[in-house]
Amino acid sequence: MAEQAQQNSALSAAVADVANGVALALDGEGDSYALSALLAQEDTVALAAVRVLGADVLAPYALRGDPARGSTDRQVVRRALAAYPPGADASDVSLWSYRGLVEASRAFLPETGADGVDGADGGGRDGEGGEPGAERPPEPRPGDAWVQTDPWPALAHRASQLAALSLPSLAPALAVGLAARTDDLARGFVRAVRRRDWLQAAGVGRWLVRAPDVPDSLGLAAGLVFVRRMSGSDPRVVLHTTAAQRFPGGGPW
Amino acid sequence: MATELTAPVETAALAAEVEGLLDSAEPEGIYRDTRECGGGLLLAALLLISPPTPRAPKTDAR
Repeated sequence: MAEQAQQNSALSAAVADVANGVALALDGEGDSYALSALLAQEDTVALAAVRVLGADVLAPYALRGDPARGSTDRQVVRRALAAYPPGADASDVSLWSYRGLVEASRAFLPETGADGVDGADGGGRDGEGGEPGAERPPEPRPGDAWVQTDPWPALAHRASQLAALSLPSLAPALAVGLAARTDDLARGFVRAVRRRDWLQAAGVGRWLVRAPDVPDSLGLAAGLVFVRRMSGSDPRVVLHTTAAQRFPGGGPW
Repeated sequence: MATELTAPVETAALAAEVEGLLDSAEPEGIYRDTRECGGGLLLAALLLISPPTPRAPKTDAR
């Protein structure tokens, strides 16, 4: 019942809208993508949706980045980070997701000279003379012991929640840690499919398409098509499966 | 004025919802093993088609 109420909330609707827009941009290879154009209005709900989807909102820039176009989107991301920082008792997933969005902003939308801030990833502070109100967000250091210690069902669940970090050049340490547990992720993928947890299956699938030594018997490519179809084209599932297609292999290991 | 007063409350509620969506619990589910289910069905089928228990013939007490 509570889940249904959550699904029907304004935030969930905004998350679905933005996820849909990102997936469409990935399908069209991201040529004319602009995050700011996806947001109905820059209100608190839209910024919250950006925080929920994390680094994925910048995925089209990773595909065919044109940072020169991204100045407005960089500001949107910074506002989302400033509006919804992880709290003192935030979970590791929240911290990782926040960090992923910070890293994606730096990697895919690097600041240029036109922004008035040094483009190098130095210790530039608070965008002096740059974007108005654009403070450089802090970069939390979340724990990663769970990558080694979590039993495989919990590992798969958490990895799926952090699927956005499977984008190229984000969280390399996390990617290497998860790559060492490919078999456990494969088990988690099958378990999620059998539980009909399409979102989790699609999220785990994103890590698996980049992992080495995925067993052929898993049938990952066909499995992701199946997951997408069975989800009834849930926007977040479609985003994950599209990203899995667009960013295969090529991990940092 | 009302908007100004309610804005922080809405933002706090949204922040909580963001955390909930980011770190949502796995949906409850029952994980059934197909082989166990198949075994159960086979047992039930065997019980249904098994012949009735032989009973001792009734003898009239005269």
